[in-house]
Amino acid sequence: MTTRVIARASSFFVLACLATPVAAQQDNEALKKDLTAVIALQGQPCGEVVAATVLKQNDYAATCKDGNKYHVYENDKGRVVVDKQK
Amino acid sequence: MRRYSAVIVLMVLSAGCTHAKRTETQPQPPPPPVTAKPEAAKAPQTATATPATGTAKTTPAKGTAKATPAKGTTTAVAATGTKTPAKPATASNSAKTVPPPATKAQPSAPAKQPAATPTLDLDALEARLKQTKGIGLMTKLSLKNQVDDLLGEFRKHYSGKPMPTLTELRRSYDLLMMKVLSLLQDHDQQLASDILSSRERIWGLLADPKSFAALDA
Repeated sequence: MTTRVIARASSFFVLACLATPVAAQQDNEALKKDLTAVIALQGQPCGEVVAATVLKQNDYAATCKDGNKYHVYENDKGRVVVDKQK
Repeated sequence: MRRYSAVIVLMVLSAGCTHAKRTETQPQPPPPPVTAKPEAAKAPQTATATPATGTAKTTPAKGTAKATPAKGTTTAVAATGTKTPAKPATASNSAKTVPPPATKAQPSAPAKQPAATPTLDLDALEARLKQTKGIGLMTKLSLKNQVDDLLGEFRKHYSGKPMPTLTELRRSYDLLMMKVLSLLQDHDQQLASDILSSRERIWGLLADPKSFAALDA
């Protein structure tokens, strides 16, 4: 009985290990594309976002392929702002 | 122990399958709220589909088949008709069901006409853009900002200020449309083509002071 429980638990653990990173990776890729589009829409140089960090809801830090870094957020007036970071 | 390993492998495979399904179902947009119904466009397609089978069956002798398509306009259809006789060995049952008059409809002039593309009004466009998964949330917000800016420019223009002329507004409108289309064309092609076909109609609404005032209200 205990071996069955252990086996089931291990199978669920393996599943969780496999499924979670895939989903997280997909979300992160979607976020990078989203931020790439936003920065391009604002006319800022970037190329492609290679790293993105969620600071708050609708508030992100993005690092571009060309080395530029941006703070992308929605201000209190509902406007999306792209601030270049030094 | 073998059973457990088999179960684990099955579960891992099923998990992989669920991920694959999720990616397949994502791009499909919800049913489009379209104002113009393309029923007229669908009718010719079905009409042209039947003659193709009809020609395959009504020309059993290959010699006569080559002799009959002497009409210049139907050369393209006749070319497809000569290819189809390779199939009749399997589709011989359906050959009897097709009525012979279908060959008279063979000159498929309606097929050459461009299909009537549906157009979107502004409300439908807004709804579709909100619903699409082809654009991320921040991109949608950014686009909404730019649409609001453009509408503000139109308000300036109609309030009597000389600065944004209609030509400048048209340029801004075209640029914004280009941005939207470039964002959508790879991820939601249906919406992109609908927007493309509605482009002039939406411009007509914006460029007319009365319709713009109605929109603004």
